Amino acid sequence: MVRYQRGDREAFALLVKRYNKQVYNFVLRQLRTPALCEDVTQDVFMRLVQNAAEFKHEARFSTWLYAIARNLCIDQLRRLQHRRHPSLDQPLGDSTETRTLGDSIASDHHSASAERSATSSEVQVSILRAVDALPDDQREVFLLREIADLPFRDIAEITGVPENTVKSRMRYALDRLKQALCEFEEYARALR
Amino acid sequence: MDCEKFDRIVLDLLYGELDELTEAAAKRHIEHCSRCKGVSSGLRATREVGALALVDPPDSLELGILEAERRMNEKLPLGKRLGRAVSILAVYAMRPQLAMAALLLLMIGSSLFFLRARPSAQSSVLVTERGIPETETEHVMIQPVPAPREPPVAAAAPRPAGAKTEAVAARDRETEKPSEVSAAPTAVKDDATKGAASEGDALAAAEPAADSMDAATAAFQSGRYVEAQRRFEEIAARGGNEAPRAALQAVEAIRRQGGCPAAAPRYQDVHIRYRDTPSGSEAAWQAGDCYRALGELSRARQSLEALLEVPEYRSRAQAALQELTAREEQVASARKVKAAVGAAPAAPPAAPPPANAKPAKPAAP
Repeated sequence: MVRYQRGDREAFALLVKRYNKQVYNFVLRQLRTPALCEDVTQDVFMRLVQNAAEFKHEARFSTWLYAIARNLCIDQLRRLQHRRHPSLDQPLGDSTETRTLGDSIASDHHSASAERSATSSEVQVSILRAVDALPDDQREVFLLREIADLPFRDIAEITGVPENTVKSRMRYALDRLKQALCEFEEYARALR
Repeated sequence: MDCEKFDRIVLDLLYGELDELTEAAAKRHIEHCSRCKGVSSGLRATREVGALALVDPPDSLELGILEAERRMNEKLPLGKRLGRAVSILAVYAMRPQLAMAALLLLMIGSSLFFLRARPSAQSSVLVTERGIPETETEHVMIQPVPAPREPPVAAAAPRPAGAKTEAVAARDRETEKPSEVSAAPTAVKDDATKGAASEGDALAAAEPAADSMDAATAAFQSGRYVEAQRRFEEIAARGGNEAPRAALQAVEAIRRQGGCPAAAPRYQDVHIRYRDTPSGSEAAWQAGDCYRALGELSRARQSLEALLEVPEYRSRAQAALQELTAREEQVASARKVKAAVGAAPAAPPAAPPPANAKPAKPAAP
């Protein structure tokens, strides 16, 4: 970011390459509307370009970037407030299409990362449903922690709540996921 | 560590945000507490199983972002571009290396600015020092003063009648002081010469201010002519209304120390510098007086002729000039006699210093 502030546009390309996947996934899970998340992700980076000169390096770059992403998602969610977002079980495309959004996410077409990949699409769909079912504040904390890999202190800074509140929300989110994934607990034990 | 504290830090433990000591304590607690062990393992399993798979964004996204960034930079208004340039410059300017370099340049520049050039031949100034240095003057004071230069007051006969009183009156008008004060120097000087050190100390202690006319006058009156001269000269150097009088008084102090030989040229200086003031006129009169006493009649005439233009001094100057003319005629006739006699003994000096020449009475401040 320092290089980009000095006018090095190659540095911006590096930033995009490094962060666009995580930001895209954060936006995707926040909005739950794949059609919008590409534009919103692009807006996140454009907002970064516009405000690059104002970034003072007092916080981590990723914290600043996800703060922008979060604000844009909140704006977008307000616009979509009265719209029904597509369900994971909703068929994609026209009525003849039988694949659902959940299937699409879990499909081989979108390759999962090696470290975090779940081994079965069934588990993935259940996870995504459980995450989507989380209350907004818990889902937000869960995504910032799991996708953006931000420490609790930075999440507290982004969301504007105390760090203990962030941990409490994360704990509730994990408890809800645990309940949703209890049927796969045997599998989890096998993982260990 | 107890279970309550463990519940507070379990998430930090799960995500590795604990310091080493607390993490070790938490792990020791888990080994002994089945409840906390269950909580910890349950959360860990949930996290592992519930890990979200990251979806790869479309390839067009990255290209679209870079293209949008390029377009945005092209469309950036001039103000924004300037702001960005300033921001970039500010980033550089805030670097400590640049700050150090700027400070170094500033120091070099300021040192060059304040560096004084060596004096050249053109810039040198010729200074003529007149008078006697203070230390030498003090030395002169120790030596006995020649008797003819300090005649008794009663013997001041060659001067025209009433001249003295007119001069004093002029000084009195100038200083606007009571006439009693003008009589003080003599009395105080007498006391001082008697060696009354205690009175001298008392006078010094009574000085109102180190740089005032009163202090200088007190020094003069107590016979400390070196100090009086210095103080009067300082006052004259500062300029102002008191400068002419102070300059005249300084010469009076010199006259008290070195007699007419030292004072006469200084009187002339004061006259030239303060020509249009009463002190300047008085200085001319005193210069004429000194030159007459020294036998330098032409210079005395020159000084006295300058006073013909001053109404207060005109009559006195005319009388003195007449006297000078008479003396010059005497000297001329004496030379004729000497030339006629030929081998006769040497005539008396052409301009012997008159025994009855008397220095002017010091002006009262």
